[in-house]
Amino acid sequence: MASKPPQPDPSEIVHHQSARARRRKAARGPAQVGALNLTSMIDVIFQLLIYFVVTASFMVNEGVLTAKLPQGAAAASTDDELPPEIITLKLTSGDDPGVVAIERGAFVYASFAELEADLDRQRYDPDIGQIDGLYPADSPIVIQADGKARWQHLVAAFNAAVGAKYTNVRFADKVKSEK
Amino acid sequence: MGSHITARGPVTPSMNITPLIDVVFLLIIFFMLVNNIVSDESVEMVLPELDPPHTRELGEVSRVVVNVAPEPFSKQGRAGYPLEHPGRARYVKVGTGVGSQFAVEDTVGITAALTALRTANPDLQVLLRADAALFYDEVRPVMGAVTAAGIGTVNLVAYLPEE
Repeated sequence: MASKPPQPDPSEIVHHQSARARRRKAARGPAQVGALNLTSMIDVIFQLLIYFVVTASFMVNEGVLTAKLPQGAAAASTDDELPPEIITLKLTSGDDPGVVAIERGAFVYASFAELEADLDRQRYDPDIGQIDGLYPADSPIVIQADGKARWQHLVAAFNAAVGAKYTNVRFADKVKSEK
Repeated sequence: MGSHITARGPVTPSMNITPLIDVVFLLIIFFMLVNNIVSDESVEMVLPELDPPHTRELGEVSRVVVNVAPEPFSKQGRAGYPLEHPGRARYVKVGTGVGSQFAVEDTVGITAALTALRTANPDLQVLLRADAALFYDEVRPVMGAVTAAGIGTVNLVAYLPEE
């Protein structure tokens, strides 16, 4: 500790401000935020905030459909009963990307809504009294499409199968032959 | 008794704006970070529009988004006709960050990346996010690569039903 001015009273040693400084500070009025005018800074900050809010793009409107992939590991059921009948949906595309031919065996559909309605009708569901359907809800549905079919149609076919409450929907394996 | 109200002229309210600035800074940083993460994870594309959509929200699960990015396009050009697009994919992006981009034919690389992610996190959910106009030829090898990584279920991403 360097040489100090004349020692203050012991009662004042505890504070780090002299009595005079404290009085001066009290006379200045309520605490100010320095001499800085913050209005412009706030304006700029609000500008930045608005920019980021406007350019923020949240993925709020994206959802998922869960699909099973064709895997050889799919457990082949050792059944004494008949193997479940596989429903094959065939999608064929033409030159117009928006148009696709939807076939299920001999049936041809004009739209995916029609496909969904028909699949729903064909579903055997005793719980809701629909006992004239041919396929139980766990019948495998295989979606087969040629390479030039657009992804939109494949997902739409998948969506139709899911909407008709089938639980075992997948895409076809590598095209082997006309099954 | 009673309070003395000393008239000293017009009263200027003095507000301490420090907390306001703190909150605004916080908001800015929040939006900056979210924007960065979201734009990194989802490549810009047009997703399939379903009618009627049975898509659902996936919820909080650990996931990796596999983006099959289309060739560059203009949003206005496709506005009314989302399928008006050559249909070729430009690249496949598995997750985010460095080294997440692969060529469409590079199924080996995609499988390796997914296997690595899956060993780190066995409950990983894969989200397949492909543009609506892509040919099935472009997406099928990617699905094959996902299968080869030992993943049995994949979530196809499409738009949610309009509220």
